[in-house]
Amino acid sequence: MKQIWRLLDTGELPAADNMALERVILTARSCNLIPNTLHFLQFSPHCALVGYHQAVELEIEEDYCREHGIDINRRISGGGSIYMDEGQLGWEIFALKNTPGIPKRLDDMYRLMCESVVNGLSRMGIDARYRPLNDIEVGGRKISGTGGTEMGNALLYHGTLLTDFNVDTMIACLKLPLKKLEDKQIRSFKERVTCLKEVLGYVPPLPDIKKAMARGFAEVLNVELMPGALTGEEETLMAGELPKFRSAEWIRLPRVLQESNLTVADYKAPGGLIRVSLLIDHLRQRIKSAFITGDFFAYPERSILDLEAALKNSSSRPDDVRETVRRFFAGNDVQIPGVVPDDFYQALSLAIAVQSSNENNGGNNASR
Amino acid sequence: MQGEKNKEWNIPRGLLFDSSDCWLKITEETVVGLTDYGQSNIGDIIYLDFVPAGTVVRRGDRCGSIESGKWVGSLLAPISGIIVETNSEAKADPHKVNTDPFGDGWLYRMEPADRKEITHLMNLDAYKAWIQERISGKAKDAEIL
Repeated sequence: MKQIWRLLDTGELPAADNMALERVILTARSCNLIPNTLHFLQFSPHCALVGYHQAVELEIEEDYCREHGIDINRRISGGGSIYMDEGQLGWEIFALKNTPGIPKRLDDMYRLMCESVVNGLSRMGIDARYRPLNDIEVGGRKISGTGGTEMGNALLYHGTLLTDFNVDTMIACLKLPLKKLEDKQIRSFKERVTCLKEVLGYVPPLPDIKKAMARGFAEVLNVELMPGALTGEEETLMAGELPKFRSAEWIRLPRVLQESNLTVADYKAPGGLIRVSLLIDHLRQRIKSAFITGDFFAYPERSILDLEAALKNSSSRPDDVRETVRRFFAGNDVQIPGVVPDDFYQALSLAIAVQSSNENNGGNNASR
Repeated sequence: MQGEKNKEWNIPRGLLFDSSDCWLKITEETVVGLTDYGQSNIGDIIYLDFVPAGTVVRRGDRCGSIESGKWVGSLLAPISGIIVETNSEAKADPHKVNTDPFGDGWLYRMEPADRKEITHLMNLDAYKAWIQERISGKAKDAEIL
């Protein structure tokens, strides 16, 4: 007999309410007040969210957000900053860690959850696939990102599904590694994400999307979903949590010293120019995100996007960068005429070195 | 993890362990860290944070957070006591926990409140068995992180 899970749909809510609700449902699941739950959520007004340990001032264009009525808040889960407009659907799994069928190892759990989304998308005629560690893509372009956290004996794993998406607003409200780039490269960045509207040529009605997604989760997790509402206990918990998630103290939370610097470098390889744009935390020696363009030809085309994914949040120490690049090319069949893996290492090293000279010129954006 | 069943985990002698993959070196004070298996399971650690020194914790209380692969996990106190020092170098450079979990990557020092709680901890052989139980999937109550 299949386990019965709750299917909860709370509709459009402000960011603070949705963030508080995540804590509330996770607490309720941990205290065994509710069954395992699949939750659909939407945001209104639109918002920019940072990951639990991130610093708002390093990740978000706050002036732009203020001017355009974009809420800012902090997730309880990990990962990077995201923009959520009314055209995106959030999904969340709340479950006990020892639920039969949910893997104990994180990597295995990421895969299972993402495969549920892939299954749901296939029901809409979309050929999506899981991209390690935490993304779902269509034709090499990201359509859903995921992340999670835990409390006691319960876990939260959640993600977004881009249904119809304003990429220009995302670029304007998040501090992405794009500011010094030309229009051509920014167009290239936009091509790294996609949405249902772009893939299908239309946006299916939201109830149909939710139905397909719910069936995807139910089949992959082998559970039966029963529609339900927030319980009285959850409503009470919500009243207690909401003031905190609306407070500046929560939104400005991080106590981890960190920084974020944008750097761009060009490297001329025999097969063409490699342009590397990095957001880098030199204090913590991390490449936060990488964006690689140029006039070389990579086969398959998606391989550069995969390399960017491999570099995201990786160590910026020279030996580690070399190893990340080496491991990527060793594990993927990538053909780039006139360009060898060491060229990418050299290009990345140049960008990291530019970062160092910026620091000497007082170019840091640090936060604690 | 591929090849995990055949992997030899570094588990030094002279330590005690809890089921959340913390190691404890117990003298007058107690040093706490994450084991080699624990750091491997979590993966590349991106952020690390602790409650402030001076915080009183009970066994099982959250005394910090650890992030990898977009996952935020809890650091749980293996015994009750007072956190007397946290490893600021590991907080600034969490990679140390991955590369040197029993050395520079230690997490915090604490003053135990109740020495009897040490009986809840595992010795080296019991901890090895606990790792194997989880790798083989036999550990029903094994938890994520």
